[in-house]
Amino acid sequence: MKPIILLIEDDPHIRRFLRASLLTQGYELLEAGTGREGLAMAAARVPEVVLLDLGLPDMEGMEVIHQLRAWSSVSIIILSARGQERDKVANLDAGADDYLTKPFGVGELLARIRVALRKAMPAEEGKPEAMYSLGNIKVDFERRLVFRGEEEVHLTPIEYKLLSVLLKHRGKVVTHRQLLKEVWGPSYVEQNPYLRIFILNLRRKLEEDPTRPQYLLTEPGVGYRLRDD
Amino acid sequence: MLDPGPGVVSPPPNEPSRAGPENLLVCLSPSPFAIPLIRTTQRLAAAQGAKWFALYVETPAHDRLSPENQELVAQALYLAAKLGGQAVKVSGFRIGDEILAFARENQVSKIFVGKPFKRRWRRFLGISLVDHLIWNCGSIDIFVVSGEGEEARPAARPKAKPRQLLRQYLLAAGGVGLCTGLAWALFPHLALRNLVMVYLLVVVIISSFLDRGPALFSSLFSVAAFAFFFVPEYYSFSMPNTEYALTLVVMLLVSTLVSGLTTRVRHQARAARRQERQTAALYEMSQNLTAINSLEELLAVAAEQISRIFDSQVTILMPDVEGKLIIRAGQPFSEDDVREGMVARWVFKHGHLAGAGTGTLSAVKGIYLPLIASHHVIGVLRLETAEPDRLLAADSLRLLEALSGQVSLAIERENLSRQAQVAQFQIEAERMRNALLSSVSHDLRTPLTVIAGSASSLVEGEENLDSATKQELAQGIYEEARRLDRLVHNLLEMSRLQSGEAKFNKEWHVLEEVIGCALAQLDSQLRHHPVSINLPPDLPLVKIDDLLMERVVINLLENSMKYTPPGTAIEISGEIQNQEILVTLADRGPGLPVGKEELVFEKFYQVAPGSARGAGLGLTICRSIIEAHGGRIWAANRPEGGAIFSFSIPMAEGAPILDKNLPEIEKEPGDEADHPAD
Repeated sequence: MKPIILLIEDDPHIRRFLRASLLTQGYELLEAGTGREGLAMAAARVPEVVLLDLGLPDMEGMEVIHQLRAWSSVSIIILSARGQERDKVANLDAGADDYLTKPFGVGELLARIRVALRKAMPAEEGKPEAMYSLGNIKVDFERRLVFRGEEEVHLTPIEYKLLSVLLKHRGKVVTHRQLLKEVWGPSYVEQNPYLRIFILNLRRKLEEDPTRPQYLLTEPGVGYRLRDD
Repeated sequence: MLDPGPGVVSPPPNEPSRAGPENLLVCLSPSPFAIPLIRTTQRLAAAQGAKWFALYVETPAHDRLSPENQELVAQALYLAAKLGGQAVKVSGFRIGDEILAFARENQVSKIFVGKPFKRRWRRFLGISLVDHLIWNCGSIDIFVVSGEGEEARPAARPKAKPRQLLRQYLLAAGGVGLCTGLAWALFPHLALRNLVMVYLLVVVIISSFLDRGPALFSSLFSVAAFAFFFVPEYYSFSMPNTEYALTLVVMLLVSTLVSGLTTRVRHQARAARRQERQTAALYEMSQNLTAINSLEELLAVAAEQISRIFDSQVTILMPDVEGKLIIRAGQPFSEDDVREGMVARWVFKHGHLAGAGTGTLSAVKGIYLPLIASHHVIGVLRLETAEPDRLLAADSLRLLEALSGQVSLAIERENLSRQAQVAQFQIEAERMRNALLSSVSHDLRTPLTVIAGSASSLVEGEENLDSATKQELAQGIYEEARRLDRLVHNLLEMSRLQSGEAKFNKEWHVLEEVIGCALAQLDSQLRHHPVSINLPPDLPLVKIDDLLMERVVINLLENSMKYTPPGTAIEISGEIQNQEILVTLADRGPGLPVGKEELVFEKFYQVAPGSARGAGLGLTICRSIIEAHGGRIWAANRPEGGAIFSFSIPMAEGAPILDKNLPEIEKEPGDEADHPAD
């Protein structure tokens, strides 16, 4: 069965270009021009992924997310304009899974959808992985060891935990708040500078060129993303 | 007409006699007739196109006029100024001489005076002003205008309170009495003529403290006392010797003369003091008002100062956009009495003094003066005081009008400068709009042309194009679209920064990360330019808005890419210098035109107009952002070739420490989510 993607977007041109890309990739596409229509379709057809534009004519994007989240855990990817970082963060914290900044390329979109679909496949999530590898980095979850190439990298417990949280959400953006909460605890959600310092240290240990990271990517103003391929 | 009001106290400067229109002069006296006299002169002057003066000669007698008559003079001068004449006030003793001197100085050809109504005895003595003028006028014509039967006598000033006057006479008498006692004691030792000296001394002393009446009385009384006590026959006024009679006559003349002169000197000293006070007040006001640049502050200072000078509550009212008078400065007054507002509006409409103590609409508590600038009333000055009469005395009214004239001028100046500013701003905005339009239209069109052309090639040449060409065209479309996106973003960012809407979200950031993000954004464009980064590993965290700082790095990189040939390296480095973090971005391109290094940060500036892409906004945005962070940005040429852009960010206090051995933050108890799959 083809995965179902619901696109809630009012601009017909953007719908057309997404339709062309997504249909050729073997997805089934539902299109809605307004928030209400989209919510109705989501209830009727139960899509695996929702692509949600933030500038809808009838509803705030945030409202759509709240209503969807009231009964569904479907993956929500926000489509937003640049310069709306605060909105993005608010929407992500409200329950959206990921975002794409307009204009975006199809490659980026498909990568996001793949990540979102993985979340939707419960079968994969069932059994814990023993080993994960990304480029030349290997993580042995059993023994809690991290290797860069053949060499073992020593991580502090917090660094290891940070890495493992990012790995859990790999391919997906994780907001500062979410990271701080999951790694340090709820009372540290405002400690962005500490997070930045730890990310820097982690990069210095894992990345070949920490200034131009290949794995630990920064999402400016929003959070971090661990590359996934 | 910038109405100087009757506050003009000094004669106008001599102007060279002009051929053509002649000058008219109207002489004012404290009488209601002065008003019709002025109107008559004004009509005649208007008919002849002549310049005209209204002259009032202030003699010592002016002080003895009743407040009503002083007010008449002030009103007359005010009217003259309003009707376009030059209102002039001079001080002097002989009215006729002063008038003629003034007339000659100002090339007056016709003098208008009212029909005299001197007291009969003076007319009998043949010393009327008109006669004096006629005898001495020379070539000037004298016109005597009849007062249409008005024989209103100038009301004499109510005498000083009888008790006070009585006290003065008693003092005078006492003084002479004491003097007589002294003379009695000295009589055996002094010659008679020296006793006269003692008396004269006492008369001088008395007249330098008392009014004219008691002074005159003292001189008469002392002559009488002298004659009675010290001139034989003693204790009688009869005189056997004519020599004694002569002594007495001389003594009488000298003492009256001396007492008159002394009182005159006192009058002049008083007038000088008053003038000085007024000049000081005016000077202070003008000093204070010139130093101010905002209208609100100006009005507040003016109200405060006038309130201090006149010891009263001062309010300045000015019309709002709808023309409704509102309080702009000073103390608010009770609006319970609707008449207050009505009087204010009346004054605003008619440009004439009104309110308490004046002859017009006097049933209210406030005195209302118009603020007149450039021929129209721009506001109303309101004063409220317990003694409006004191304030409306000619002197203080004149000062008040002069001050309000200054306030009007200052307001006018302020308005003009604001208008000039607005105009300048509009010109600037217009210039910017034009520059923006021309630059943006060029920069939008270029990528659009590429996109439209490539896309149409793809659509129409479907069969003929090989896949490599198609790929190339599609890649071109993609890159141009990204370029357009950045341009639009820059434009939006620019307008946000310029309008002050941009909110800076400053947090502690790792500079390395910010630069990394910028590089990641430009990934595909940077493939032709190897970028090397050299940042010390222990660079402290900086308090910045990461998105804006990223924009700075992106714009600097884009700028370098634009102006340097492909394949040349770009070097980014950072260091700490004087409590600042200094970041430099150096390229190996052609460098900047010498002497134009600063200009590249100007809006829309392009080194070679039209040659390269970009709206010329990128570096301007950089400068705005860096300056908002309290830093500096500048450009220079490298000695070995190429340009170098540098910016500094001040190091803020309290940066979280970037230490390898950073203590790990304690784990929350019970938080066990440390496995990615659980």
